[in-house]
Amino acid sequence: MNKKYDVVIVGGGVIGAACAYYLSKCKGLKIALIDSKRSGNASRASAGGLWAIGESVGLGCGVIFSRKSSSINVNEYDPVAAKTITPHILPECFFNLALASNALYPALHEELREVYDVDFKFEETGLKFVMYDEEDRHYAEHIASNISYLSNNLRWLDHNELRDSEPYISHEAIGAIEFLCDHQVNPFRLTDAYIEAARQNGIDIYMNTNVTNVLRVGQRVMGVVTAEKGEISCNTLINAAGSWAADISEWATGIRLPIKPIKGQIVLSEKLPRFLHGCVTTSDCYIVQKDNGEILIGSTTEDVGYDTATSYPEIATLVKGAMRCIPELRHTNVKRCWAGLRPGTPDELPILGLLDGMDGYINACGHFRTGILTSAITGVITQSIVCGEPIPVDITPFLATRFNGVN
Amino acid sequence: MNKNYPVIVGGGPAGIAAAFELVSNGVNCTLLDESPRVGGVMFRGPYRQGVKLDYLGIKFRHSMEALHAQFASVQNKVDLQLNTRVVGVGSNSRVIALNNDERIKEIPFSEMIITTGCHERSIPFPGWMLPGVSLLGGVQLQIKSGVVKPMGRTVVVGSGPLLLQVSCQLVMSGAEVVGVYEASQFSKLAREFISLSNKPQMILDGVSMLSYLKSKCIPIHYGWGIVRALGKDELNQVMLAPYDQNWFHDLKKSHIVEAETLAVGYGLIPRTQLSQQMGLSHNYNNDGCLTPTIDQWQQSSQRDIYVAGNLTGILGGEAAVLQGRIAALAILRKRKNISKEMAEERREHYKTKLIRVMRFRQGIDRYSFRGPGLLSLPDAATIICRCEHVIRKDIDNAINQGVEDLTSLKMRTRVGMGDCQGAMCVGYCSDRLRQETGRKDVGWITPRFPIDPIPFSAFEVAKELS
Repeated sequence: MNKKYDVVIVGGGVIGAACAYYLSKCKGLKIALIDSKRSGNASRASAGGLWAIGESVGLGCGVIFSRKSSSINVNEYDPVAAKTITPHILPECFFNLALASNALYPALHEELREVYDVDFKFEETGLKFVMYDEEDRHYAEHIASNISYLSNNLRWLDHNELRDSEPYISHEAIGAIEFLCDHQVNPFRLTDAYIEAARQNGIDIYMNTNVTNVLRVGQRVMGVVTAEKGEISCNTLINAAGSWAADISEWATGIRLPIKPIKGQIVLSEKLPRFLHGCVTTSDCYIVQKDNGEILIGSTTEDVGYDTATSYPEIATLVKGAMRCIPELRHTNVKRCWAGLRPGTPDELPILGLLDGMDGYINACGHFRTGILTSAITGVITQSIVCGEPIPVDITPFLATRFNGVN
Repeated sequence: MNKNYPVIVGGGPAGIAAAFELVSNGVNCTLLDESPRVGGVMFRGPYRQGVKLDYLGIKFRHSMEALHAQFASVQNKVDLQLNTRVVGVGSNSRVIALNNDERIKEIPFSEMIITTGCHERSIPFPGWMLPGVSLLGGVQLQIKSGVVKPMGRTVVVGSGPLLLQVSCQLVMSGAEVVGVYEASQFSKLAREFISLSNKPQMILDGVSMLSYLKSKCIPIHYGWGIVRALGKDELNQVMLAPYDQNWFHDLKKSHIVEAETLAVGYGLIPRTQLSQQMGLSHNYNNDGCLTPTIDQWQQSSQRDIYVAGNLTGILGGEAAVLQGRIAALAILRKRKNISKEMAEERREHYKTKLIRVMRFRQGIDRYSFRGPGLLSLPDAATIICRCEHVIRKDIDNAINQGVEDLTSLKMRTRVGMGDCQGAMCVGYCSDRLRQETGRKDVGWITPRFPIDPIPFSAFEVAKELS
């Protein structure tokens, strides 16, 4: 069986799905999306935060990341002991990418609902960094001073204002800083919404299909080899393989991209009445309540290979961090915990665009903690490249050639 | 808690047999059970004190007493932990359990025998969630453990030996059974005579149950089954119809029976949440269910982890005992508490008996093989996943949109994402996807830690854990 496509997208996580959707809107392109269900798919272990500023200033799961990477000795059983850290702020190019992507969601939500009858549950929530003490305030002030040009999107809340807007948050909290443009979606619904819309637009979807090699003649990609469906030819291959993207890049180009799985464990509560109106992060964890009432708590950052097991000490740390912020959780149940593998890059920035010297190959990978947030702009960028249209943001900082040994 | 103890998860026939074999040969062990009494679903007996189960028949009482007496004879060498639910797997050969005080504790093991049994297969049909409609095993548990008699006129539908057994027990305990509806034709049972003759006593038991029901004028309808349950706020009526050989119902010949209780028993599903969490290799059995793979010593794909009883495929209590003993022999042999030769000799003895049970069971399984007609029962609006309120139409849509496996179906529709982690809906969803795709392997619901919901506050003691 040899099928021929203009574009083959490898990977049906949120990034591959977004690329499939934006490309499917271009008339005349024959597109295939190839996906296999692998343990650790990061889109399925996401909180669904669209935290354009929050992620850029190292909040969300970035808090735990920077705590781990700072030299302070953290007592795993006592989140309170982890202190004196400085925010881990990403470069300005990432802010631009994140904010550009974030701006796409309200219209995208409307479009997918109205044209394709799929709803990814976009909610305008804001993201609050809840402060317990002066150390936290210092941390928040450091963030604010670094992004003074975004001050219109920031709001400070004192203890009473915080309690007014989020009555379930602990009395222990002294206040919060809120990022007004940071919202949330349902991550499963977002991935499925892109795919279903793309399917309605006529793309072919190969589910449960494993890519085992890439066909190449000289410096030109010709197609992929799959275990289940044989060879599938294409003019352009889009590498959206998440934590498995390094294999695809190596087969396609001979170069192994510096992407490795970074495990994140999350905790989910039973369905609860409204405990939170907006998304919350503390210096221990982030806490969000989803559209169906479940509260999701995340997330660890662990460099342990393709291991997707949950582990008791890490789960207990998250659970205790959440109970500290919302004491009422003590009277509710943990329903499920699981782990995903973020496609981590050394500089925490995604890898996008063409690769010098290769024909028919585009990167859309390495999205680390922010795949849900940056999926829309990644789809737009990829579509622009395939169609030869101008790219709406400068992707120079995200090209693979920024890494040594990739040019 | 001794980390040199084998840990047995589940105190039913398999678990008790394993504990008995171990202790009798000098190996103390830990036995965990989620309920307040040992015996398993089958032989746990009443939760209350002072209830004699004579109403379930002398034979049942004797079997139950024998099992409890056997356990009592070794109990002082068993670290018995009741009301202890295993909810996950820890690191360094530990399981994570929720104890009686709703606190988490980690229990170390040197070897483990998993005997988590099975759960019932939910069959969705219009009205299946009405109060008054129960699964057959649940009704049986009510009369055995809860000592509660089902209300009013009772209709029993399903297939297989449990149908007759529970019907008899219901009658003996004073319930009003107005009809028993077996989905398969009686002639199909007769065709399995050679297989069934591996267990002549079981045939006799079956015959005596039939004649008992006959003597009580309880009608048994072969080749009939459920269509829908009717009632506004609770069950008032049951619609039944003849089933063809693929269990498709003939609505034109349907009839309606007034009833307050409906017991539904179309099969059982091995309870693999823990064995999956342990990361053991699994396969699909002839019934389409996921079961852990085992070797001739009941060892799983992992060293020192054994599995026994209905978890490995539905074979019933007698086989569970034999499998539990074989798993224990494997541990005794490894620990050199008995010689290699002795272990093998005894294993062969148990194996011979086990093979006869398996041949018998294969006959039963062919007889009551679940027909695809059951999948046609739910309407578009019938709820399939009751935790997440996913209706049949949602599943139809997802399949029409190209979903071919359980994980994708879960992501698309939220089936299996609720508190029960798919225990209720996995049967329908797996059958449906296998039928639609023609594939044997459409995946299964992957259980997550914790296997059952646990309180946030259970984590507050974590500091004390080492």
